[in-house]
Amino acid sequence: MIHKTSPEIGGMGHSIKRKEDLRFIQGKGNYVDDVNLPGMVYGQLVRSPYAHARLKSVNTEKAKKLPGVLAVITGEDLAKANLAWMPTLAYDKQMVLATGKVLFQSQEVAFVVAEDRYTAADAAELVEVEYEELPVLVDPHKALEPDAPLLREDREQKNNHIFHWEVGDRQATEQVFQKAPVKASVHAFFPRCHPAPLETCGCVADFSRATERLTVYMTSQAPHAHRTVFALVGGIPENNIRVISPDIGGGFGNKVPVYPGYVCAIVASLTLGVPVKWIETRSENLQSTGFARDYHMTAEIAADRDGKMQALRVKTLADHGAFNAAAQPTKFPAGLFSICTGSYDYPAAFCEVDGVYTNKAPGGIAYRCSFRVTEAAYLIERVVDVLALDLKMDPAELRCKNFIPASKFPYKSSLGWTYDSGNYEAAMKVALDKIGYQRLRKEQEEKRKKGELMGIGLSSFTEIVGAGPAHSFDILGIKMFDSCEIRIHPTGKAMARMGTKSQGQGHETTYAQIVAQELGIPAADVTIEEGDTDTAPYGLGTYASRSTPTSGAATAIAARKIRDKAKKIAAYLLECNEADLEWEPGKFYVKGTPSKAKTIQEIAFAAYTNIPPGLEPGLEAVDYYDPPNLTFPFGTYVCVVDIDKGTGEVKVRRFVAVDDCGNIINPMIVEGQIHGGLTEGLAIAFMQQIDYDESGNIQGGSFMDYLLPTAVETPHWETDKTCTPSPHHPFGAKGVGESPNVGSPAAFVNAVVDALSHLGVRHIDMPITPWKVWKVLQEKGVAA
Amino acid sequence: MALKIEKTFEVQEPIDKVWDVLSDPRKVATCVPGAQITEQVDEKTYKGAIRVKVGPSVTDYTGEVQIIRLDAQNHEIEILGKGQDVRGRGSASMKMTGKLRALPNGGTEVTSVSEINVVGILAQMGSRVITEVSNIMFGEFVKNFQARLQRPSDGLVQQNATAEVAPIKATSLAWEATKGLFRKKPENGS
Repeated sequence: MIHKTSPEIGGMGHSIKRKEDLRFIQGKGNYVDDVNLPGMVYGQLVRSPYAHARLKSVNTEKAKKLPGVLAVITGEDLAKANLAWMPTLAYDKQMVLATGKVLFQSQEVAFVVAEDRYTAADAAELVEVEYEELPVLVDPHKALEPDAPLLREDREQKNNHIFHWEVGDRQATEQVFQKAPVKASVHAFFPRCHPAPLETCGCVADFSRATERLTVYMTSQAPHAHRTVFALVGGIPENNIRVISPDIGGGFGNKVPVYPGYVCAIVASLTLGVPVKWIETRSENLQSTGFARDYHMTAEIAADRDGKMQALRVKTLADHGAFNAAAQPTKFPAGLFSICTGSYDYPAAFCEVDGVYTNKAPGGIAYRCSFRVTEAAYLIERVVDVLALDLKMDPAELRCKNFIPASKFPYKSSLGWTYDSGNYEAAMKVALDKIGYQRLRKEQEEKRKKGELMGIGLSSFTEIVGAGPAHSFDILGIKMFDSCEIRIHPTGKAMARMGTKSQGQGHETTYAQIVAQELGIPAADVTIEEGDTDTAPYGLGTYASRSTPTSGAATAIAARKIRDKAKKIAAYLLECNEADLEWEPGKFYVKGTPSKAKTIQEIAFAAYTNIPPGLEPGLEAVDYYDPPNLTFPFGTYVCVVDIDKGTGEVKVRRFVAVDDCGNIINPMIVEGQIHGGLTEGLAIAFMQQIDYDESGNIQGGSFMDYLLPTAVETPHWETDKTCTPSPHHPFGAKGVGESPNVGSPAAFVNAVVDALSHLGVRHIDMPITPWKVWKVLQEKGVAA
Repeated sequence: MALKIEKTFEVQEPIDKVWDVLSDPRKVATCVPGAQITEQVDEKTYKGAIRVKVGPSVTDYTGEVQIIRLDAQNHEIEILGKGQDVRGRGSASMKMTGKLRALPNGGTEVTSVSEINVVGILAQMGSRVITEVSNIMFGEFVKNFQARLQRPSDGLVQQNATAEVAPIKATSLAWEATKGLFRKKPENGS
């Protein structure tokens, strides 16, 4: 139970307005492209039109002759400095600028630097590249065939296989399947999609020859990790590198990897000794930076005739594109996909994933999800609906029958995770009551008699976030702890810095509320700063809903360290023993005599002016928090759709989202996060795909083809919550930013399939466009 | 990106006169907007260039045109053209089959089937735009073809050899293609 502070303090549970919005709504944010330094020049990448081609020559002569052009860097130039390739986060390597051949359309081939952006763009057109086309591999199923073209000639392994990963008990699972009376299965493709953040990626690299220091302003979700990568790859002493992530216009995982453009800008700045700015266009962002998903999945459930699930078997083919640049903890090549048993109690389970190369852009980032948890949640929630269909059971009833019971937490899943806490039935009940489930089922029955198409879709997802405990979680060896440093100023105001980096999540507000909660200093008096590696403590950054579980925890613990010291000072000031003091947010008082009290502000002043003998001056603390476990947010979403039989258009009539993310810091921000994530989920389910034609041409490379949801497409979201605190987190929070993106795609798809299930439809792959639905209606003879 | 375009149109000229133009890539090229034949390599092979500009994207393809089948008896021709953009922005190939049929009114029916494959920046525009662009180009071609038939046949080759490449008008093309998008439902929704 969290003690509620006064509105003036604004600790946890208060919907205080976002502090950062003051500058954002005035257009006073400071994004990378707002950084303009004296003498700054501009970079532009030349990209490959081919998905697979031998690079015969790169002629830069004409480009170099254009007035205003300062340099043209090619892969061969970088090779001389041993920089033509760079390591990825997944222990693979990736070309910075192509040498030998290109492996995906839009791959980086040369980097032009000029005095202004227009000249750079014009000069890029003048770079003449001669290619010899090679056979293109776009279908991952064909990647492992013996006659498939070999994509990665640089590897010792002469095929297109990247990894095989398996978890669970294969044999025990097989045995259950052999005997099970009921088996349900689904083949589900989670298409390649892209986070498409409002701000594309970019940087300003500024190497000073005078100080030998390199400052990189960049769109980075993980500035510390990027500093270390630059030091290791570039050989620059890490103390001479400063990475600054200014305001970031959305990341969603897209700004976790290191991209060739950053490296090229740094090389250009080192070479020219002037600041170099490189900013992606929208199409460059969609076509070459970290995509998400692209998982071809099969799930099978073994069950008894009453619908009690006995085993789960999952087999997945993962399309990683030309380089394995997936952003994930190093020991988990398929991320946390093994959360695929979801909210259900399976005695046996087995999951295997094979990763392959294709001629597509590299990536596999965690788009608003904790490393493949979206794929996992979608798959399990889809196959559970298929089982319900096979058994002619109500999908809500089937779910309730198989939920991990609240009494079984902490729960050890058959794929190895220990779920911290949960009460799935409670969340489902709130959702079903709110939407009026039974009434909707009756309505559906009546509508079917009239030939109308209406569907109700459920998704009772479980997430796994807050990576993660050092014993299993690291990225390139760096453990996935995170940090906070708090300094209390003499006047009782505070400054706190973290190893994470907000990209719009509202950290400047929520972290201040944690400090307010723990120390009673008003949130308004707490300044939060992130993103500058010179000032912030080391951390692995913000993604995978890890900020609250890791840095949020570090903030609470650093504040508690300060409170411990404040207690000593209070005892000195009140001339009593520490044991005689009681705390309430904002002050220590003598037990039984509330008037004998010292406020945190008075204590802070004393820490600099009236220091108790033997005590170190000042009032500050640092905490590096290694979480003991991950956290497992969950919820139930219910979606109601109506389908237009004339056009195939799916209209989302209602959507109820009940989330349980444990104790909440700021309810308004949580609700905002859920609205945003649901809107992204809607787009993924109905509108978006980065598709490739048979020659490897990108078919979703601009906003003409890759659609974004606007207010017109977006339905009204209804939200609610239950609260099951995490038992191991310092204030019982779990993380919420990603739940709606993780949980909603299955609810949308289940609703559409439910609307068509009486016609024999069992599955439709996303994106469910009107055209796709219309074709199904035609096929089933019900199109109007 | 592969697409197949089938077109039929009629001209008021007798079949032999039409065949005289259609069976000579040098003459056909003068009718294709933005195209020219630059060199004859052998009896059946020519070098040529075509400039296609869609919105801001200019593609200058240079390559070869080859007659792979010429059947004067049945008035059928099969041509294979392949080209790469000079600035390395992509490649394109087209296999076109042309067939003539004499009409009772003395005119000629021209039927063409083109299989086009585009790789590169242009292909990213998607089949909706490329199909529209092809339709517009074909419309221009038919106009030019008819005009060509009405001119005396001698001197054509010479004029062609020195002719400047006239690219398709960029803005009108993009505009026409955009209008085309709204005019009718795309043929496939993928």
